[in-house]
Amino acid sequence: MASIIDWIEQRTGAVSATTEFLTEDVPGGASYWYVFGSATIFCMILQIVTGIFLTFYYAPSAATAWESTKYIYDVVPLGWFVISLHYWGATAMIALMFLHLLQVLIWGAYKAPREMMWIVGVILLLVTLVLGLTGYLLPWDLNAAAASEVAISISASVPVIGPTIAQFLYDGTNLGTLTINRFYGLHVWLMPAALVLLAAAHLYIFRHNGSAGPPVDKDLKRLPQGRFWPNQMFMDAAASFAVFVVIVLLSIFSPAPLDEKADPTRAFIPFPAWYFLALYGLLRVAGASPGPVVPIANLLATVVIPGVLVTWLIVLPFLDRNPSRRLTKRPWAMGLTAISVLGAVALSVYSQSAIAQEQAQTPAAPAPAASAAAGAAVPAGGKGAQVYGANCSGCHGASGQGTPGTFPPLAKNAFVTGDPKPVVHAILYGLSGSIQVNGGTYNGQMPAWKGQLTNADIAAVATYVRSAWGNSAGAVTEADVAKVAK
Amino acid sequence: MGVHEAQAYQDPGTPEEQSRRAFMANVTLAIGGVIGLVVAVPVLTSLVPDTLIRPDKGKGTWTPLSADEFKKLEASTDTPVRLNISFKTTDAYLPPAEDSQFVWGVKLSPTQAQGFQKNRPDLYADPAGKVDYPAVTMNFVIFSSVCPHLGCRYNWSADAKRFICPCHGSQFSLVGEHEAGPAPRGLDPLPFREANGTAEVTWIDYKTQQPARVIIAYT
Repeated sequence: MASIIDWIEQRTGAVSATTEFLTEDVPGGASYWYVFGSATIFCMILQIVTGIFLTFYYAPSAATAWESTKYIYDVVPLGWFVISLHYWGATAMIALMFLHLLQVLIWGAYKAPREMMWIVGVILLLVTLVLGLTGYLLPWDLNAAAASEVAISISASVPVIGPTIAQFLYDGTNLGTLTINRFYGLHVWLMPAALVLLAAAHLYIFRHNGSAGPPVDKDLKRLPQGRFWPNQMFMDAAASFAVFVVIVLLSIFSPAPLDEKADPTRAFIPFPAWYFLALYGLLRVAGASPGPVVPIANLLATVVIPGVLVTWLIVLPFLDRNPSRRLTKRPWAMGLTAISVLGAVALSVYSQSAIAQEQAQTPAAPAPAASAAAGAAVPAGGKGAQVYGANCSGCHGASGQGTPGTFPPLAKNAFVTGDPKPVVHAILYGLSGSIQVNGGTYNGQMPAWKGQLTNADIAAVATYVRSAWGNSAGAVTEADVAKVAK
Repeated sequence: MGVHEAQAYQDPGTPEEQSRRAFMANVTLAIGGVIGLVVAVPVLTSLVPDTLIRPDKGKGTWTPLSADEFKKLEASTDTPVRLNISFKTTDAYLPPAEDSQFVWGVKLSPTQAQGFQKNRPDLYADPAGKVDYPAVTMNFVIFSSVCPHLGCRYNWSADAKRFICPCHGSQFSLVGEHEAGPAPRGLDPLPFREANGTAEVTWIDYKTQQPARVIIAYT
């Protein structure tokens, strides 16, 4: 064994390079405060590995994006788990990146001689956000398409060059198969390549300058030195492991969601990924400002404020040139950081609650276009379809999609397509109390239709809901209804 | 910084410190191993082909023969008829696509039916050539239209009273027996049945160029 290692070392220098890499002073000693960067790198590796394996199945086109994603969930062995690791890994990576950025900000670790490392770090954050944005479109479900439509529309509102930018993002004038190709190229090739190269540069510069150490105004060389290997690596590994356990648990107990396939005729209120909620909130605030101010407010929200923030981050090391890294000596940097963080959190909370409210309201009154299209798509259901349209679609939706939080979907609902007796019972006598359907909780009131509808009507509508919108359960006869109605 | 400048590594420390560091090194490696395993198992499992997990899923579907085609088959005597079948194929997540094929149907006389087993040693005597379904159903035999030599489509020659492949001249009798030419075996019968008054066929692709009948794919 030892001779094999010697042989490899003589011919590659790999062993001494590894030793060199691991032998590193940690000023002030190893600390759990230093784990954010390494845990982010861990997530990056996890994303690359899971992402590579997802490409074995995913096919980027309007005809296959959703279908192949669904295939990953339904058919590919443990495919749901791999895609969920990727989904939660993305959230973890961005969360850790924000924490890492915040810590460097607070500790003043961006100061000379680490300006370049800081700038590369800010670009890494931007690249990761682009990865999040482009990856969000790829499953091509209702939310993916609607949220991407909003994102691209925002870019279109940039003055002068906005419409051109939007055409570049769409690869055309609207969301379609070329947009999926484009986002795929960005998400799978260009951005990961940039990410890996920039991360390597970030690490290389880190090693060039050494650790910044804690925010004290002392000569770092005079601090007691700790060992990178194994002391700091142990803490890094422990933190990455904790993050990994959380990602795995979330993947098992809350797998990545996949909505129905994108359909431009369906009214849908999208929700952005959590890390874009603040930007989205800014846009909502702008939209709510008094009429004449709206264009200026929009410009502020889409270009000026995000632009100023990023620019501020990039030039920060050159503005904040005071060599002191103590928190109390840097009131401006600390104050602006605090305001930005508080503002982002407040805007995120605001958007989250506003979107939830809108989603609760919208499908109950579907847009005319949506209900017409859904009506056309449903196979001729005859009487059952008529009864449904007149009595049920108000709450359960024209295409059985339900109303989030209140009225459950009937499409792809195992209760509806299961034993017909409880279905008939629910129509006859109503239902109340909280129920769970496909992971969602619904707490509306189902009225009793006995006496309102004839047994024949109930049989027809039960048959209809069990066979429409992709459901394929058996018919219910008038006699079946009569049995339950006794 | 590197080995030579790093201060923290100059002093090896007390035996307790050394054993603590050994512990941390081992735990770090163990964590790496555990994470690697928990990621490697699902991502590698995801590559397992569906047909390996659910081999029955690929066992083919029964394709109905239209009433007209079946009439043609019933009316035939001593002359094979070319029958068209069309079916839906599903390729993974793609929407089902329409596909069609043709087969050769033969109505055997009672004598031909009796002698079928004897005349087709490649189907009965040779264990490698056996098929796991009846080759003759109600005195009908349905042959795949693919020549077992190199996959060309053969024709029926009314003059020679033989199936003749235009590519390399392989010849087969009415009951599919290999008579001449380079084909390694007789014609391949396909599963055929009657269900609810409809005649149904299952299309199978067999490997060519060898005496054994090896299934490549079902429809």
